Order: sequence, then C-alpha cells, then structure tokens
Amino acid sequence: MKRRELLKAGAFAGAVAALRPPIAQGQDGKVNAELTPAQSGVDASNDLVAPGWKPKFLDEHQNETLIVLSDLIIPATDTPGAKEALVNRYIDLVLAAEKPELQKSFLNSLSFIDGEAMRRYKTAFRYLTRQDQDDLLHGLAYPQTNSGWTGETASTDPGHTHFEFLKQRIAAAYYSSQIGEKELGWDGAFGHGPYKGCEHAEGSHK
Amino acid sequence: MTGLYKLEDPLAQTYDVIVVGSGATGGWAAKQMAEAGLKVALLEAGRAVSPKEFTEHMPAYKLKYRDHSPEIARTRPVQKQCYACMEYNYEWFVNDLENPYSTPQGKPFTWQRLRILGGRSLVWGRQSYRMSDSDFKAASRDGYGDDWPISYADVAPYYDIVEKYVGITGAAEGNEMLPDGQFLPPMKMSCGEILMRDRVKAKFGRTVTIGRAAVLTQNHNGRLGCHYCGPCERGCSTFSYFSSPFTTVKDAMASGNCTLITNAVVSHVDMDNATNKARGVTYVDRLNRQVKEVKGRSVILCAQALESTRILLNSSTQEYPNGLANSSGTLGHYLMDHVVGGGASGKLPDLKGKADANEPQRPNGIYIPRFRNTPTSGKSSRFIRGYGYQGGADMDFNFGAEGYGTQFKNAVKEGVYQISMGAFGESLARWDNYVEIDKELKDAWGVPALRISMTHGDNETALMEDAAAQAAEMLEATGAKDIKLQANVEMPGMAIHELGTARMGNDPKKSVLNSFNQTHDVKNLFVMDGASFVSSACQNPTLSMMAITVRACANLIDRFHKSDI
Repeated sequence: MKRRELLKAGAFAGAVAALRPPIAQGQDGKVNAELTPAQSGVDASNDLVAPGWKPKFLDEHQNETLIVLSDLIIPATDTPGAKEALVNRYIDLVLAAEKPELQKSFLNSLSFIDGEAMRRYKTAFRYLTRQDQDDLLHGLAYPQTNSGWTGETASTDPGHTHFEFLKQRIAAAYYSSQIGEKELGWDGAFGHGPYKGCEHAEGSHK
Repeated sequence: MTGLYKLEDPLAQTYDVIVVGSGATGGWAAKQMAEAGLKVALLEAGRAVSPKEFTEHMPAYKLKYRDHSPEIARTRPVQKQCYACMEYNYEWFVNDLENPYSTPQGKPFTWQRLRILGGRSLVWGRQSYRMSDSDFKAASRDGYGDDWPISYADVAPYYDIVEKYVGITGAAEGNEMLPDGQFLPPMKMSCGEILMRDRVKAKFGRTVTIGRAAVLTQNHNGRLGCHYCGPCERGCSTFSYFSSPFTTVKDAMASGNCTLITNAVVSHVDMDNATNKARGVTYVDRLNRQVKEVKGRSVILCAQALESTRILLNSSTQEYPNGLANSSGTLGHYLMDHVVGGGASGKLPDLKGKADANEPQRPNGIYIPRFRNTPTSGKSSRFIRGYGYQGGADMDFNFGAEGYGTQFKNAVKEGVYQISMGAFGESLARWDNYVEIDKELKDAWGVPALRISMTHGDNETALMEDAAAQAAEMLEATGAKDIKLQANVEMPGMAIHELGTARMGNDPKKSVLNSFNQTHDVKNLFVMDGASFVSSACQNPTLSMMAITVRACANLIDRFHKSDI
C-alpha cells in the first residue's frame, strides 16, 4: 500500500449531509468557490495545534482514552509517536463530520476496550497501570483460532475486530501526519526520479 | 488561460466547425481542424483550468481532513467512487447535486465526469493500448455482435500520428493481440515484476510487459520528461502526462483559428429543416443561465460518450422525433463499460529490501495482454472475448503489520513486498444496455438528464471468475504467498470506460455513424468520441478514441476542401 492509498484505506466514508461546506480561501484572502482549499493554496497543517483546542465530537473521557490507546499502539521511541502527532485531534475532527453510523461504530469499539478493562480490573482503561493496559491489549491484538493445530479461524472474535478497527484509524492518522511522514523517512521532496526499478543483473531473478 | 477570447462577439460569426467538448478527443478535433485553416469554435461546459491549481506536490498533512473532507461526500457522492476524486481536486469533478442522472431500481451505474477545460484528460489513468483486428473484426471471428466498419489497417496510420504527438512510453512485444506503436523509452520494471515476467512466460507462454502510458520518459514536443512524483491526477507542473489543455487545445489556440467558449453547457444541436443540416448548437451559460446560439457549417460532438448521445437525444425535431440522427433507432443503445473486479494479490517474501519513502513513484504498472480466445490460444468453453490485466509489484510500507507498539512501528518500516493484478474485461455490446432521456429529471441548467440502464451479463461474470483464477495461478508461479482472490463484478461505470450509444456501421438502418464518424442522417453532424465504438475490446480506449478522431478529422478536412459539407 502506497502512502497516499493509506488515506483512502481508512474507509471513513460519508459525512453529515447538512454540514456547511468549507469555502476555499486562498492565501491572498480571495474566495473562489470553484477551487478546493488545496487548489487555493490553503495549508491546514497547523490547524490541530491551535491553543485551547477542545474536541468537537468526543467527550473528555473518550478523548483521554483515545490518547492513551494511540500512545500504546504507536508509542514514542527514538521518534515521536501518535500522541505527539495529535492523532486524537485529527480523529476527532473527522469523526465530527462523519455519518452517525460511523460515529457510533467508533464509539462502540472505544467503549469495548473500556468495558473489557472494567470487566477485568474494575477500572476504566485510561486509569490502568501500563502493565495492565499492555496485558489487556495483547489479548485483543491477535486473531483467535479454534484449534492450535489447524489454525482454524474462530467464527467470531469481536475483541480483535474492535482492536483492529481502532488500530487502523490510529495508524492512518499517524502516518498521514507530518510526524508520520518523517517517521517513514520521507525527505519532503516530490520527485526523486527517474524510477530505477530492478538493478540486478539480467537473469538474477529465477 | 487569459487572452483566449477574441475581442469581437464570438457568437456573431458562423464558424466552419463547432467542437463540443475539450477533452481527449475534442482537443484533437479542435487542433486538427484549426491547423487546417478552418475557423473553429471550441465549446466547453466548464471553466478554464490553470496550472496554479495543480496540487501534486502538496503533502496530505496540509489537507484539513487528509482526504476525508465532508464536502466531497456532500456534493460528490457519485464522483467520490472514482479513485482520482480527492480532497485535493474534487472541484474538478462535477457536482452531483447539479448534474443528476437516474438508473432503474437494481441497476446501479456510476458516471464519473469532469466539466472543466480538458475534461477527464486532467485525471485519466493514461494507459494507452492499440486495438487489433481481433477487436475490430471480433464478430466475424466468434459470431457475436457486429464488426466495426474499419479495420486495424485503417486506423494504424492515425495511431502513429497520435502516439508521436502525445508521447507514449512502452516496450514493443510483437504480441498478436496488442499491436506495437511509436514508443518513447519504456519505464523500468521492479524485481518482483521481472520475476513475474520471466516465470509467467516460462510456465504459460504469456506476455508480461511494462505499461504503455501517456507519460513522457524524456523531453518531448516541448514538454519535460516525468519527474516521478506519483499523483498525476492532481495535475503536473511539468506537463509530463498528456492532458488536452496544455497540448492539443493550446495548439488549436496558437493557430489563431480557434475561439474557445468556456462555461457553455450545450443543450442541443440546432437544425435547418429545409436543408436537413445542422446550423449550430444552443448552450446555456453555466454562470448566468443565459441561452445562446453558436452558428456553424458543421458540428462535431466530443462531449464524452453519454453526453454526446444526450445532446442528440435532446435535439429531437419533427423529422427526428426520437433523437437527432436516430432514424435507425439505435441511438442510446449498445452502451458498454469494461468489466472490472477480477484479480488477485499476494506477497513475495523471498525478495529482500526495505521500503523507501524517497523511492521515485512510477506512474505506471505492468500489463498482461489478453490471452483468452486469441487466434492461437483456442476457444474458451465458458466465455467469448477476454481480458487484460494491469498490476504491479513493489516493496512497500507494511501498514497491515500485526500487533502494536514498538514492534508494529518497526514492522511498518521494514516493509512488505506486495504484488497484485486486476483485470479489465470486454463488455459485450447489448441492445438492452442503453441510455434515454429521463422526462422527469433536469440538470441545474434545465437540460433534460439521462436515465442509464446497464448490467453486466453472464459473459462478463465468467470473464472475472476466470481472471481471478488465472491471476492466482500466475502469482503462484511467481512464488507469491498469502494470495487473496478477487472475483467480483463491479457495478457498470467503475472502469470509467463508457463506450457505444452512437455506434458506427456501414448499414444506416443499424447504426448512427458511418466509418468516418459522420451521422448517416445529417451530413454535417459528427460524433467523435467513445460513443462511436461498436465493441469495447478490453484495452483502455482513450488512445483508440483519439486515433479514430484524427482519422475522422482528416476525412472532414478533405470534405471542406471539396466543398462537400
């Protein structure tokens, strides 16, 4: 999957039909309704960094839970992780514009994680110790099988499904951020051509 | 695009030629006719386009919604089904709220269009393949449908002209189903693609070639070679892929003989009943809704297959009550769109390497020409005609890696060698796949809209099933693991290769156009776009549409010289 295909792969289709259309506004301040904001030169890369940011869609608990979860799924290592990339803010922005059924399925998955934490530890996920959070996520991170010998896939595995859904959205948000592009090693230039292709000697691949 | 309008009233004069539509074929028609010294009016339903709008060098993080803009869902619920309609460029695509069409219950059709100078040539997939006599004369070979009134030999010189001008990268293969052309140097194949090419040739005797694409691999005709940034559909600052505004339309304007009229939503062709000739077209100004008429000695419709037919259906007169130039009754019928949805993907774990975000992005893939029902392959017992594959193999970031945390983060960067191929199958010409005017529905300019009725049939389903199984076999032979099949029949329209509805033919009782795209019924009225196709073949059609247009223009220029119009 190419970097740009990742954007499409999140399957965040749909949005609230009644939402007011954003008006494209160029750097010169002129409005042209027949250009996209991108075509007008609008750079939205600092929108999420705004001081006093508040979630538009998530409540405070959901937002904090998402921050904790995204930090576990893509932690800071020698490079910044999902928390630094403000993955929660981007997901909140997109959720706020999505259709109710998509909003609902996101909240279902997030509350499934919290429900598992309450069932096991009587504590909401965000307040668990790091070790307990890790133990809980490891139980969800891999698909279950009915048989260890044949590897037969279990007919239902809701925990893993919820986990994968959240992980994919967090990963799509992270790797489409400026921090994520740097993480992949992109130098910020467009055009490193020409395409070199296979440079092995003829007949090397048999 | 300033300075294109002439100071005098563009509607006061009578043009030799009115060309409706400025896309791949309209650009060619305008260029050929204007350069021959004829006075041309080029009408485009949308606005002009500027290179300042190109966004191919804008990273996704500068987009507010990183391609999940609610504005696309609100105004372009149909257009967003197109891979190329993105938060970057969705304003190039039509607003579905202003441009409705209808479909019968249970027969969905996706109609993806642009109304802007250049039309879909701004965002097209650029794949460019010749058709052969196995396509032009398919009916003679298997008994289904009708032959084209032209053969490969008739079109070949015009393929040459178009390819030399456009600049097509590709490799000659001597394949019986895919005639070679005038190629710029081919793009390189990846290790995985070379592996597939050699093993598929050894095991099945089939050709795997680098894609033939309208992208420059070296400077050509005043345009720069590709810089391999990747997303052509967002525009190209070096004009390295072919799009009409910066090539054919530019040439037409430079001739001094072409007047461009943008924002001209053509509603119908105007007829002079006394002479049975077209005298011009009527359009609605897109911005102020004023109705205007342009006068011409000939009219060429290049509005896109379904739009050209819509204009003819909306041009009924007493003499032609069921649509202009429709004495045959075939106008609107034999709609085709390549069937897609069959293929397979997998991984090539034996190929080592590391994903690289700074690898040049090749705007092209590999191609496997049709190998079913060829002159040398024998006949399939399950279906007629065939399909070709587009695909590719490359090391890529492993966003699907398992687990989470530091391990996941590292696995993403390690990468995975992916390989995939998807088929484009021939769509059989059927009478019961058709368009008509929906009497209840009009667009935002009051022009009656189309009702589109199309389904893929059993033959198309069998093609996709076979394409999935054959893809899996070829991936297996390549050494792929974790193979996933795709044997779907996507909804018609998804290939964005609409063809037919004003077919050519020698018999005026069974076709709308003659072999030079001239309507049988009205001597000075022409349709030069995909509407003229008799059968769809399985190759991407734009190159053939352009070649057929240039051929038809040569004939029309000749008629002007002989005063036979």
